[in-house]
Amino acid sequence: MKRILIKGGTLYTMIGKDGIFKGDVLIEDGKIIETKESIHAEDAEVIDASGLCVMPGLIDAHSHIGLFDFNSDEAVDDANEMTDPVSAAVDARYGINPKARELRTAYEHGITSMLFTPGSGDVFCGQAFVAKTFGDNIFDMTVKAPAAVKIALGGNPKNTFGDLKRLPMTRMGVAHVLWDTFSKAKEYLEKKEKGEALDYDANMEALIPALKREIPCKIHCTQYDMLTAIEAATAYNVRFSLEHAWGAADYLDEIVESGCDICYGPIATYRAPGERRKIDIEAVKMLDDRGVNVAIITDSPILSEESLYHHIGEAVREGVSHERAVRMVTINPAVQLGLEERIGCLGAGRDADIILVKGRLGLDTNAAVMMTMVDGKIVYRA
Amino acid sequence: MYLLKNGLVHVGDGTVIPDCDILTEGRVITKVGKGLDEADAEIIDVSGCDVFPGFIDPVSSIGAMGLPARYPDNGEYSEPVTPEMNVKYSIDPDEVNAQEFYKSGITAIGLAPTNGNLMGGQIAVCKTAPQKMRNRIVKECAGLKCSVTSAVKKRYGSANRLPMTKMGIFHLFEETLREARSGKEDMPKKRRQVILDVFDRQSMQVFCAASTKNEIDGLLHLMKDEAVHINLVDSFCFADSLKEIKEQKAGVILGNINCMSQIAKNRMELTKLVELVENGNPVAFTNSNGGSSEGREVFLWSAIEAWRAGVPAEEVVKMMTLYPAQMLGISGRLGTLEPGKDADISVFTGHPVVTYAARVKHSMINGEVIF
Repeated sequence: MKRILIKGGTLYTMIGKDGIFKGDVLIEDGKIIETKESIHAEDAEVIDASGLCVMPGLIDAHSHIGLFDFNSDEAVDDANEMTDPVSAAVDARYGINPKARELRTAYEHGITSMLFTPGSGDVFCGQAFVAKTFGDNIFDMTVKAPAAVKIALGGNPKNTFGDLKRLPMTRMGVAHVLWDTFSKAKEYLEKKEKGEALDYDANMEALIPALKREIPCKIHCTQYDMLTAIEAATAYNVRFSLEHAWGAADYLDEIVESGCDICYGPIATYRAPGERRKIDIEAVKMLDDRGVNVAIITDSPILSEESLYHHIGEAVREGVSHERAVRMVTINPAVQLGLEERIGCLGAGRDADIILVKGRLGLDTNAAVMMTMVDGKIVYRA
Repeated sequence: MYLLKNGLVHVGDGTVIPDCDILTEGRVITKVGKGLDEADAEIIDVSGCDVFPGFIDPVSSIGAMGLPARYPDNGEYSEPVTPEMNVKYSIDPDEVNAQEFYKSGITAIGLAPTNGNLMGGQIAVCKTAPQKMRNRIVKECAGLKCSVTSAVKKRYGSANRLPMTKMGIFHLFEETLREARSGKEDMPKKRRQVILDVFDRQSMQVFCAASTKNEIDGLLHLMKDEAVHINLVDSFCFADSLKEIKEQKAGVILGNINCMSQIAKNRMELTKLVELVENGNPVAFTNSNGGSSEGREVFLWSAIEAWRAGVPAEEVVKMMTLYPAQMLGISGRLGTLEPGKDADISVFTGHPVVTYAARVKHSMINGEVIF
């Protein structure tokens, strides 16, 4: 297959401390072969990137595009199977509208991978997956499935089941379901590993990869739900990230001690008593300074996919360096999802998901994607 | 008395003055110019900073919703036509304060009824600083909030009431105007008075939510012989009705475009904003989308989207200051940095339309430094 050489751009490799330098990227068969200051490859097709930034495709680690389908007159909710607070087994790939227009807007804005998740109307909402934003068939576009178990605490599940006068209709009820389900899943796994007879339970099966630390739990929480999430997830030794995490500045020590990851956002919701009391963008800087892996998320299509630029811009406004902010939408979410060997940086062997950008994304407000490449294929040119 | 020294002053009307000073006394600006001197004034050094008139969101829901509440205070859904409602009585100062609008440079908001009623009521303009309410209200009855969006038919159609369809919405609009003008006896007196004041005497402009092409086209068709000035609110599909909007010189108040995937859903062509600017249509931005508001940050995001789409930066500044002030009939007090105007001033460390690194360094409202 033909080789492609992206020449003379400013590379944002997202690798190591000196990850930004002028150089070239060589691509073959949809993968990055080499990234260094100067590459000669006579047989390769050359793309001139002089004057442009060359970056890994952006990653939005928390999206509901196509699951909340806004493409027809009436919005459709295929993200919430709210018939049982424990609906861990449902698979988001079957809920998504693969023709959602937002996917195109996403790759035209340089977002090449997303984590698509159910939620957050149940406590155990279902299985999230990671996919490329360009393609014809969502199963072919998928990078990893399942990629995470989606869990939600707080107002959403409580309102879902409170309206039905069913458990959980309080935060204590939500915590009870959380503990109880983890306990049952652990017991299920132990029996299974010992080869004991047991009735097949799809929800318990769906939690096994999380208990084995193969995939993380993504736990929707705001305010003091964070403590509940940390306590239960730590007790069952699962990998986890706190999703949304509004008010994280109040729980910095607990977050740092737990070793969890953070998916912060969407930024720019209105402030109101309760869960929306504290939209503390400054927490992103505090957490990053203390070594926490922070990703920034849009919750698209709630806040739109293209607002990812504005999201990193707000982090920059709060004092995060431009380079650190870009990490929060590239390598940080890739590491959180265990996909750093595939996406999120310009290292050799990675998928050739590459964007050419005029200006500094997240700093210059008019920075614009001039080209998007997914798996070595140019899918968009400005 | 304050003397802001050596700022890059964006007047708000498109002019930019480098190394410029602003003197304030009490609630107002008294002088704008180079090399001002005033012994009694407290000096605020704004060198290296961009200085703007406080930004204005002309149609905000947040601040009048009364959260948490079973029923929002800005949606009187007992009937679809309630133009006599005055939002002033629904302003929740704490709800406004909690947003810290001034941290994004926004110093005044037009609090407005939701999109759920055909004629929801009258907009009230309020300052965003936590000051005494009597000093915060700039103007009540500053605009008539209307809506021809699906929100109206969802609200009433589900209860088997008119309007159940968009046909019903426009029918009700037409009939309401006709009945008010024909003196139909069962229309409440106050209601008729407001409608006639607005539509026959242009006492205030109309701020009508219209999002899709058929809503925008329908509204402009219905209003084409009306004298009152129409501002399209939300107007996500404005680019699809460019000819009609230009002909009628309608105002466009872009709803929060980075929310609910409006750009993707409507295939929005923001570059068409340039044509509206060239044609002289007033344009403004609001944090609201479909009648509900998001946080203060999205106001600057909309401005940034306009700049990305090719609108010159100083023209974008007018969309955040002068134009919304004119729409609300308050340009005598707000919208530009000139002597006699309210001392509502936002000082940024850079140009927030051009760089994300620009932060609010100082915010002054009614001549008080609040940040």
